[in-house]
Amino acid sequence: MDKLYVAQSLLRRRKLEECVEACSVLLEENPRDEAAWHLKLRALSEQLYVDETDAEEEGIAEVLMDDTAIAELPRPGTSLKKSLITTSGKAGSTPSIRPTSQSGRPLTGFLRPGSQSGRPTTVEETLLTPRSATTARPVTSASGRYVRLGTASMLTEPGGPFLDVSKLDLRKYAQKPALARVLFEYLYYHENDTKNSLELAALSTAAARYQDWWWKIQLGKCYLRLGMLREAEQQLRSSLKNLETVDCYLYLGKVYNRLDQPLSALKCYEQGLQRYPEEILLLVCSARIHEALNDSDKSISLYKQVLQLDNTNVESIASIATHHFYTDQPEIALRFYHRLLQMGVYNAEIYNNLALCSFYAQQYDMCMCCFQRAIDLSSNETAGDVWYNLGNVLVAMGELRLSHQCYKLALSSQPEHAEAYNNLAVLEWRRNKHEQAKSYLLESASLNPRTYEPHFNLALISDKIGDLQSSYKAVNKSIEAYPDHSDSKELLKAIQSHFRSF
Amino acid sequence: MSDGGTGAGSNDDKVVNSNDTDIPVRQVERRMIRTSKAPEIPPFESRNWLIHSHYMSKDFDTCRSLIVQQLAETQGMCEYAQYVQGMVLRQEGRIQESLDSLQVASRLNPQNPENLKQIARSLFLMGKHKTAIEVYSSALELIQNRNPENKDWEILHNQGICYARLGDSSAAKNHLKKAIEIGQQHSSYMQLGRVHLEEGNIEQAIAVYKEALAISAEDTELMTTLGLLYLRNNKHQEAFEYLGNSLAYSPTEHKAILAVGSVMQKHQDHDVAISKYRVATLSTPESPQLWNNIGMCFFDKKKYVIAVSCLKRSWYLAPFEWRIAYNLGLIHLTIRQYASAVHFLRAAIGTNPRLGASYLLLGIALTHLNEQSQAKQAFEHSLTLMPDDISLLLNYSIFLIKNADSKSALYFITKFESLITSVSLKTLDPELVKMSGQLSSILHSGLPDQQEVAT
Repeated sequence: MDKLYVAQSLLRRRKLEECVEACSVLLEENPRDEAAWHLKLRALSEQLYVDETDAEEEGIAEVLMDDTAIAELPRPGTSLKKSLITTSGKAGSTPSIRPTSQSGRPLTGFLRPGSQSGRPTTVEETLLTPRSATTARPVTSASGRYVRLGTASMLTEPGGPFLDVSKLDLRKYAQKPALARVLFEYLYYHENDTKNSLELAALSTAAARYQDWWWKIQLGKCYLRLGMLREAEQQLRSSLKNLETVDCYLYLGKVYNRLDQPLSALKCYEQGLQRYPEEILLLVCSARIHEALNDSDKSISLYKQVLQLDNTNVESIASIATHHFYTDQPEIALRFYHRLLQMGVYNAEIYNNLALCSFYAQQYDMCMCCFQRAIDLSSNETAGDVWYNLGNVLVAMGELRLSHQCYKLALSSQPEHAEAYNNLAVLEWRRNKHEQAKSYLLESASLNPRTYEPHFNLALISDKIGDLQSSYKAVNKSIEAYPDHSDSKELLKAIQSHFRSF
Repeated sequence: MSDGGTGAGSNDDKVVNSNDTDIPVRQVERRMIRTSKAPEIPPFESRNWLIHSHYMSKDFDTCRSLIVQQLAETQGMCEYAQYVQGMVLRQEGRIQESLDSLQVASRLNPQNPENLKQIARSLFLMGKHKTAIEVYSSALELIQNRNPENKDWEILHNQGICYARLGDSSAAKNHLKKAIEIGQQHSSYMQLGRVHLEEGNIEQAIAVYKEALAISAEDTELMTTLGLLYLRNNKHQEAFEYLGNSLAYSPTEHKAILAVGSVMQKHQDHDVAISKYRVATLSTPESPQLWNNIGMCFFDKKKYVIAVSCLKRSWYLAPFEWRIAYNLGLIHLTIRQYASAVHFLRAAIGTNPRLGASYLLLGIALTHLNEQSQAKQAFEHSLTLMPDDISLLLNYSIFLIKNADSKSALYFITKFESLITSVSLKTLDPELVKMSGQLSSILHSGLPDQQEVAT
């Protein structure tokens, strides 16, 4: 059989390593075989291909040294940096009913990169907030992922890199569109050489007389990776003028997200949806933003639309379930979680959520079984949450001593669990151990400054002791985290009247 | 306006300084040699009026810049500027810094009782009550050194508050009463009332608050408090009056709304109560008490599903509130979901083990789940907590009859009958009386029979 045909077939069957070997053999026979070269490049970049349209983790430097922010104090509802503005009377979306993540946004039903991370304003906060979805430990460098990819590429080629990038004449390749594209993908994904791939993309765009949408998207991707967001926006917009593609809308939305302009991102997704009304990715992305902006009604209706198109979309099912759980309909949430379980999602989180739903839906026999399963399945990262939830259920059952132990267990497996500290403090306060309670609350407030409960509790306790200065400070923080909290406002009023009177 | 003011002030000063420029230098030199001549005093107090006027109009920024200027010119020796700085800092919540500058002011002029009073106030705000009392006493000494007849209600009032915070209620009452004798201030009345309440003396507290209301007739908070106190004393008419007044002045006061609603609920006026609660949900959507009351309104209207979901939200917001769990237990008992009822009642007992009524309901729920021995335990525990409760006696005797223990049942039913004769029949639930009649007839005829339980 023709060796090139075999190699092509291997690529099509996604036997990438074998394909690379086959191409290497071909290239040894004839180093100038462009077809084999082309095939090998494709195989190599396929190995490391990542769909970058989805949200990704941001590094510390990107988050902290964000010089693209337009306004220091954005208008309410136009930024994801500030705490939520709640519309009063809309139950289920207030922080006292639906807890917030470390970023101060409503807890999402589905853990994805970026859903945990906030947009911190100080170095301390940046170091504290988790940057990746699975671990609470921050990724240390701006290019956490890319560094890993780079080392991987070295491993696949023990004899040294396939191409010597510095010797390539990019100008020559830019004239050959078919080769230039594979070369670009190789440089971008395999070599992780953003600078050269940007140069290639720029040359190729010029060669295509600035009319090629594909190259413009690639330019946008390179700029995005380099953090030059405005340039990326320009290229992507220009690409949209040539041809409206789903990818382009997704990348543009991502750029706006990085610029912290959720409303522009939404507008961009909406435009995309007009062109491609049933595109799941666009629907999901705009649902996520609505959710983060605390507009649960819209986000749920979008997620429901997604489910009508693709009834196995895990993110939508989980998000809808979470929404129902926090709007006093645990029975319906239970059915969605059941569906997830039937689909084969089998982990501690699912069982934990099933347990909570069945507890609030009064199916007590199910509840404890599910918690048992959740504990059995939990890893170090999830065990803390499971114990914490079990503690909450036990508080609701009046078993205060057991719940105390559960919170302690939660802290032993996850020492940075701010909510557990807060609840433990409340229990200690009920036992009249005031000093202990205060220290737990301080711990909780420092671990997660964006939840209002520890601040408010601290204010209450300090007020009871008579230390009005600390109480004033704490209640101000509580109001900052949750501007509509009526109890905080009342306490603040009382303290201020103390300060004013002689 | 304020900028113009400061400009004028500093101009004045410059004029004064330029007039002196040539002469004082020589004077100083001469003073080094001949100290007999009186020293030149720079005009320390010249800008006090300006600082004062800005402070009074709460223009803190201008005020602070003036103070900084004044303090720089006088090397921090201006007493009034230090004093106002302390007050400004306090209003911004920086008590420690405020205390520092007030202490400087007092060091500059140790004879001014006002400085000491404010130092004590700052100490009080920081929770150092004992020290605050001492400082207040020394301020009082200063005042009385001038004239032993001098009195100061502020000092007495604040000392009273400090004692109250320290838990010494008799001293607190003493001081506050003296303060009222001198000053008749609204805040003293409020504090005195609070001390009485902490002692559990509601009658006294009501009397104090009434006096206070005579002074400040339109204080809605006061009216609400009075209304709530009357409610606690089961005087619904008076309570309703005060709460109604309070609502007339400020219709969105959620405490008053909650209390008025609960009075209406007691009089079976559920629709009006719900409409009142609806107003309150706008300002406090997260109040567990509010949702609990709404839930019970729907319960009385026999809309059980809505009631349960309201109560559950309330319970989610306040898991330590045994009343909510108790109410949930009651509802589930009514809609015959006995297992759930048992869970809720257990939760209520877990947070408040001293309430006999939850054991009574638990006993009934357990009876329906055929857990007779546990039910018996619950009933008996309930008996130890409230031995004279008529509904408990009746329910327990029904339970005993079902379990063929007519002897003990007879004992309890006779106790029940002796108790209801002492109470007037009007206050009793007619169903209770009817049930007891049936029971005693069964017992006397000696035929145990299955009976449906009334709760």
